[in-house]
This record gives sequence, C-alpha cells and structure tokens, in this order.
Amino acid sequence: MAMENTTNSSDSRIEELSDSELPTSEMEQVAMSAEEVSIPSLFTSHPPIKDNLVTITSEMQGETLAELLPYLMEPEGDLNVFGISSLIRKKHTRYLRHMLEGPFPPQFVAADATRPWMLYWALAAMTMLDVDVSEYRERIISTCTPFQNKTGGFGGGHGQFSHIATSYASVLSIVMVGGQEALDLIDRKAMWHWLGQMKQKNGGFSVCEGGEIDIRGAYCSMTIISLLNLPLELPANSPAQVNGDETFLTNLEEWVSSCQTYEGGIAGAPNNEAHGAYAFCALACLAIIDTPSKIIPRCLNMPSLISWLSSQQHAPDSGFAGRTNKLVDGCYSHWVGGCWPIISAALSSSSQPQTDLWSREGLIRFILCCCQQQKQGGLRDKPSKNPDSYHSCYVLAGLSTAQHYFGFQDQESFSVVRASAGFGWSITGRADVICDEDDWVKPVHPLFVVPFERAVECRKYFEEREGF
Amino acid sequence: MLEKMAKYSNAEEWADIVPIPQDDGPGQPLAAIAYSDDYVEAMSYLRAVMANNEMSERALHLTEDIIRMNPAHYTVWLYRSRILFATSSSLPAEITWLNTIALKYQKNYQIWHHRHTIVDALNSCTGEQDFLSQMFELDMKNYHVWSYRQWLVKRFDLWEGKGELEAVESILERDVRNNSAWNHRWYLVFGRGESCFEDKERVRREVDYAKEAIHLAPQNQSPWNYIRGLIRQTKGPAALSLASFKQFASEFASLDDPDNVTSSHALDLLAEILAEREGDAADAAKALDLLAKKYDPIRENYWKYRKSLLVGQGGVKAAA
Ligand SMILES: [Zn+2]
Repeated sequence: MAMENTTNSSDSRIEELSDSELPTSEMEQVAMSAEEVSIPSLFTSHPPIKDNLVTITSEMQGETLAELLPYLMEPEGDLNVFGISSLIRKKHTRYLRHMLEGPFPPQFVAADATRPWMLYWALAAMTMLDVDVSEYRERIISTCTPFQNKTGGFGGGHGQFSHIATSYASVLSIVMVGGQEALDLIDRKAMWHWLGQMKQKNGGFSVCEGGEIDIRGAYCSMTIISLLNLPLELPANSPAQVNGDETFLTNLEEWVSSCQTYEGGIAGAPNNEAHGAYAFCALACLAIIDTPSKIIPRCLNMPSLISWLSSQQHAPDSGFAGRTNKLVDGCYSHWVGGCWPIISAALSSSSQPQTDLWSREGLIRFILCCCQQQKQGGLRDKPSKNPDSYHSCYVLAGLSTAQHYFGFQDQESFSVVRASAGFGWSITGRADVICDEDDWVKPVHPLFVVPFERAVECRKYFEEREGF
Repeated sequence: MLEKMAKYSNAEEWADIVPIPQDDGPGQPLAAIAYSDDYVEAMSYLRAVMANNEMSERALHLTEDIIRMNPAHYTVWLYRSRILFATSSSLPAEITWLNTIALKYQKNYQIWHHRHTIVDALNSCTGEQDFLSQMFELDMKNYHVWSYRQWLVKRFDLWEGKGELEAVESILERDVRNNSAWNHRWYLVFGRGESCFEDKERVRREVDYAKEAIHLAPQNQSPWNYIRGLIRQTKGPAALSLASFKQFASEFASLDDPDNVTSSHALDLLAEILAEREGDAADAAKALDLLAKKYDPIRENYWKYRKSLLVGQGGVKAAA
C-alpha cells in the first residue's frame, strides 16, 4: 500500500510516439504541427524577473522550479501528439479502485475520521475517468449507513459526531452511485434539522456542533440543501432564529463578503489569509444561491478577486498556487482553476462572448507532466509527493475545467427561494487544448463536483417528493 | 502483548462498560482500515461511554489515549472538551499537554480549535504568544496557527503594545515574502474598525513599511498586494490615490526603459494607474502588452482582458 516515490522512467518516447496507432486525422495533425511539439519557452525557462534577496520562500520556490522543470521539458511516459505526457487512465483507475476498496494498513488510522472523503474522492476521480461507479452502489449504501446519525447528518465513521464536511462527502458519494435505494438512505428531515443547528446568527455555518465557523461550512451546507431540495426555512430550534423569519440564506451573502481580504482573494473566515480552496467554496456557495452575474458582483470586489486568482498561476511551473508566495500544488488545479468558470459566468453578458482569463495550456501541461505518478498511477501535489485520493480527485477536476467550457443559462425558475441556480449550468463546448482524444476526462459539475446527470437525478428525485 | 491488547477489557476500572464494536454496515465496507488492536479496543469503549454521555476522569484518559493514536479524530476532541468543562478539569494542565501534541502533529487542525475553546474558557492568553513563536519555528505559514493567532488578538485585545506587531516584523525580517505575516500585519493595523482606514498617520506608516519591503525585493508580491489593498480601502483624510504611486511604481517599471523592468507587480500597478486617465490609455496598453509578452506571459489572457477594459483602446468599451 505504501506508495513509493516516483523515479524518473527513461522510456524511449520517440518510439512510443511513432508506434502508436493514431487515427488518420490525428496523424495529419502531427505532420502539420511539428513545431507545436517543441515546448514554448514559457514553460521551460526561469521567470524573467528574479530578486537577489534570498529568503526561505525564495529558496523553496527555487527548489520547486528545479524539481518541476525536468518534467516540463522532458515529459515522462507515453506522450500525446502535443509532446506532453498522456493521461494514464488505466493506471489511475486501478489506483483509485484500490483506494476506494481498501483495506488500508493500520498507519492509515488518521483517515478514520474522514472515510466519507475517501469514498468521495475516489468515486469522483473515477467518474472523471469515465468509470461507471454504479457498480459500487450496494457497498456505498452499506458503508455509509453507519456514518449517518439519527439526529441528522453524517459523521466520519460509526459513532462519530455529524460534521458538515463528512456529510457533504457522504451525500455526494451517494449521489454519484445514484438510484432510488441509495438516495433513500439519506434522512432528509433529520439533515434539515441538523443543518439548522449549524446555521449561525452571523450568517455563516459551523462545521459541527461546537466546531469552527468557516466557509467550508457555508459551501457544504448549500450544496447539501440544493441537491436534496431541502426547505430554506430554518427549523424552529436553530440558533440563527431571532425574529422567526430567518432562513438558511439570512446574512449569508454578507458573511461570505466579509471573507474577502485586502488582497482580493477569499479567506476561510473573516480576517484570515486569502486561500485558493476558500475562494472556490465562496464562489460555488454564492453560485448555488443565485445567478452568478447577479450575486457574485453583488458580494465581492471583482477586479481584485480576478487579479488575485490570476496571480496564482506562474510560469514555468504553470499550475496554481493556493496563496500569495506559496508553491504550486496539483489540488489547486481545482480550487483555483475551478473558480474560472464561475468568474466567466459572473462576468458574462449576452452581448459579450466568454473569453478565458487564464492559461488552460499551462494548467494542462502541469497536470499531465508533473501530477501523474507514472509507475502505479494516482495523481499528486507535485513529483516529490506521493499520490493520494484527494489530489487525484482535485487534479482531475482541474483537468475537467481546463478541457471544457461551462455556461450558465438563467431561468425564471431559479428563484433564490429554491437554491437551485446550480442547475442552470451546462457544458457548452470543448476547449481547443493540447489533449489527445484519450486525454479527455468526463466533465464534472462546476459547483457540485460530481457528474452533471447525477446531480440532476438527485435534485429531480427529491423535487418529485411531497414534503420530506 | 496480550496485556497490552486488553488495556480496557481487563481493567477493573472499565468492568462496568460494555464496549460497542464498530458497525461496518451489512456488506463489505469500502475504504476500510485494518486498525491496530489497541485502536479497535479503545474506540469500542469510546462509543460506549459516548452513548452514555459519560463525563468522567476515566473517559478523559480514554480520549487522550485515542488522540495519541489518531489526533485527526474531531469527535474525540469535541467530546474531550465537553468532559473538561463538565468535570471542571484543570485548563492550564490541558494547555501544557496540548503544547506537546501540537508540536508533534503540526498539520493537525482539530488541535487548534480545541485550543481556541480552552483558552477562551481560561480567559487568559498567558504564554500563548511564546508558544505560537515555537510553532512558527516549524512552519511559518501554517494557516491554522495564523488563524488562531488572529482570533487571539481580538479575544485578548492584543492590537497594540502587546508584542504582536513586533512578532510580525521579526518574521518579516527573516522572510519578507511570508504572506501570512503580511496578512496578520494588516489585521493588527486595520482590524479594529473602519476608522483605522481614516487614520492618516497609521496609513502613512504602513505605506512606508511596504515601500521599504519592496526596495528589498521588488518582485515580492506581498507588499504590492498590501499597497493595493491600502489604495482600495483607505478613506477620508487618509485616502490614497492610485496616481500618487506613479512615481514609486516607475522606479521598478518604466515605459521609457521597457527592457529593465525589475518588478512585474510594479508594471501591473502602473498599468492600473495609467488606465485611470483616458489620455494615458495608450501607455496603459503598452504596460499591459509588456506584461503579456515579456514579463508575465502565463497570464496573457488576463492582461488582454485588462486591456479590453481600457477606454479607447480597441476594447469592448471603445467599440460600444
Ligand atoms: Zn495539495
């Protein structure tokens, strides 16, 4: 089980390329674009400006560049027609099946409070690799049953307190395997009561009883409320009930706004440091509530937010970092990369075509060349780190974002009182990117991070229900 | 070995408890963990005492045992804090114990929420700042430690004269690129209320501090973000205009000397300053082109977008 570190494989790439059986159209493409295979110098040379002052931060940045450049300049494994590492789908799938099924050795005890996440990450990553995960339906139902508490919500395991993150991961895992039997496992009425306990007077959500109030609480709660079609009215005993007319949305927009920092990015809670993962949580949370072009400019300062998000992408290490002056890491391919479709929708107006504000090519190069563990499969933070389910999920979700265009179509029915704006999204096209047919992942929903059809199936199923 | 495996079931003290084994569901569980025997036993006793909501000394010891085996177990931490309060246990003793755990498991954040709960109830932050300095020796950018520190400042009124600003400055002296420290500085200086943004003296001091940091390392994004934050948020008598930074930005990025730009962030700021005046739009476009083509080309699309917003530069606005 111990995933050993990568060693550079020195396979003969040129032979692989010529041996591969390419369809004719792609053969032509190869012939036509010989110079495209040469890597743009942007991805192979040091940044044009470097300060002389050496500090811990600059040393670490230097070490990371030295680590990544060989992978970018001489990609490992089989190469696609664009000269970058192919998506090693089979190996990743094998790795993820193993990570889903376990059992893990005793050293994995730290995962004992996060088993729903282990399910979610592996299943979500597999759906992006186009694996039909419905074969796991029975086992997901069986595994998640003891996680659920009678008082509502899911804990990290049997006998553990309900937590917003493990509830999110459990619900999404159930949604991904789909089907009536799985969806019926969720006690929606109890969930609604429990979420009511998490809702705070200040507008935010606590992650568990007596737990911290942070933006994960807000995003995970709104995801659960929206997918399960829970009423937005608060249960009577919620701590957020003051006048009696409060809902799950009361003061929520204001609370999310208060997480935007002087840098323009978004923190986990007011006054903390701007962080990529929390930017996604904030944007996705708002986009579940209302039309992005209305709610996002209403709550957040757009120019500084866009500037901050954009500044997390550097060259030549071309993936995303999660904070100012921190290192690139594969998981931010989703946390920061996943902000872009929401930003595009927030900026869009019918008169203006959607244009990219970031580099899809940079992210794809980083993901395919640096984040794949070539030997056993699995995706990772960077080559010096071992792969894990978490990074596999969010690196592939970043690839989904980089490969596709997503659009939001406003509809009369997405009234705020239904928290259904997430259902206005669709895939509007494939981006013109440096991927072969085999490198394409199946897109996931930009807010819920599960396959579109599974999210829709779940919401529909619960919309057709009368009451709870 | 046998003795060790039966730590609870053989103990007189626990004889009255019927352990509750883990329910793994009716089928073959996914993502199962082959727990150690010790962990399995301790957890089954934990489930049993939690089911009774037992608030006792022995339950407290049990939580400690489990935390040592799995500090990421949020339920055990929460249960532990409830027991501490219900049994009126010594909170200073808890902090002493927590210190060893926190230093050992740096990445764990349940510890920080627990610490928050305990220190809040203790109503004293004696020793906290020293301990945080110890934590920062291990990782100067630990998000949970900084978030905890921000809470501490507000809870115990450490805004001024309590060593916080000095602590931040000493971290920035060692690494002027530590953005977490810059963020904490912002909070210390402006976190008490909107009126801080109208305090001319305070704002001038902060501008000088950031400028000095930029002179040390012009390509360090942190102080540039700090300055841009100041420009956006200062107001009243202390309001800063974008234009007032034109000369400063030009020290590091001049359109007259486009081959010798020493800070892409200066060029970015310069473009923003130039974009303010319609007459300077052509120069703003030049600055953005330099960023797109030479100094920060990975963000080419973003710089093009900024260019499209310029008045009269062939962007959308000009076409309209
Ligand atoms: Zn990561």
